[in-house]
Amino acid sequence: MSEVKKTIVVTRFDPDKDEVPKTQSYEIPVQDDWKVLEALNYIKDNVDPTLSHRWSCRMAVCGSCGMNVNGEPKLTCKDPISSYGDTIEVAPLANFPVVRDLVVELEGFMDKFKAVKPWIIAAKERAAEEGTHRQSPDELADFKSFSMCINCMLCYSACPVVSNEPDFLGPAALALGHRYNQDSRDEGADERNEIFRDEGGIFSCSYANECTEVCPKGVNPSGAIQQAKLNNVVDWAKSFVVPRRKSS
Amino acid sequence: MLKLEPVIWGLFSGGMMIGGILLPVYILVVALGGGFGVVDGQALGYDRVFALATNPIGSLVLVAAAALPLWGGAHHLRHLWIDFGGLKSDGLVGGLFYGAALVGSVYAVLAVLRLHG
Repeated sequence: MSEVKKTIVVTRFDPDKDEVPKTQSYEIPVQDDWKVLEALNYIKDNVDPTLSHRWSCRMAVCGSCGMNVNGEPKLTCKDPISSYGDTIEVAPLANFPVVRDLVVELEGFMDKFKAVKPWIIAAKERAAEEGTHRQSPDELADFKSFSMCINCMLCYSACPVVSNEPDFLGPAALALGHRYNQDSRDEGADERNEIFRDEGGIFSCSYANECTEVCPKGVNPSGAIQQAKLNNVVDWAKSFVVPRRKSS
Repeated sequence: MLKLEPVIWGLFSGGMMIGGILLPVYILVVALGGGFGVVDGQALGYDRVFALATNPIGSLVLVAAAALPLWGGAHHLRHLWIDFGGLKSDGLVGGLFYGAALVGSVYAVLAVLRLHG
């Protein structure tokens, strides 16, 4: 395994001392097969223990280690260091307040998740005696890809509408809401569609498609939002023919 | 404007479909195909085209082809305005763009109705 030196330029911010973020460069030995996260861990363990960054699983499942690498949102545990030159810039995800260094504040993002009611809404609870809820492979395919989200926030960070309209619910939350609307076990589409059509909902999306470009799990949030738009147009047209059910 | 978003988006997506996919083919067939003799010139003769345009389905297609791309353009311009930081004046500017599309659409309907004499 060959070892070369690379310069990692990390954005640092200490809320107790700094007015604005600054950058700090670390020249470290890296191995070909490293991911960007391993370089950050090397710095933290061997060079500068004050560096703060989030990570956990190291295998693109937990969604903790999203950062801006050379200006693009990346899951750093999945981002090979060999795909960059001698200098790599690592910054916190855009569109989030920074807590410290590369760690961002999640609260606003998580609130938006709750807003779309990402759980199965059913008029009455299914009794255990009724057995399991049967779902065909086609019904599963309607929402499966949208349920692969790991909440890594890359899409939210990449979205130009989020940066422009802070109230926009964002790709992750809207795709998740759509995932439940598409689930044959769910009866909450009317409730969610009201939120979808409200300010900051699906119609604020201008289909820049950046969310889908950066998604490390192939979720396709922009596709979900376009499907949701079409469903809402059909829903709107239907409302003239069939009186809309009252949402409970 | 929020209550109207589904219908506006519906008109926009219809407009993009027609303007982006169908109109280029139409231009290819009618303008270039006719001009280069690939399409029989007689097929595009006045009487035949007039009959097509005054047929109920033909008239509907004509109105859609003229009006829907206006909504596509208006919606794009409105979002461009928002992208350039115009969110605060979205109601006014969006209203102007959509208003222009509405005027154009009414004109398209009147123009096609006039064909029917």
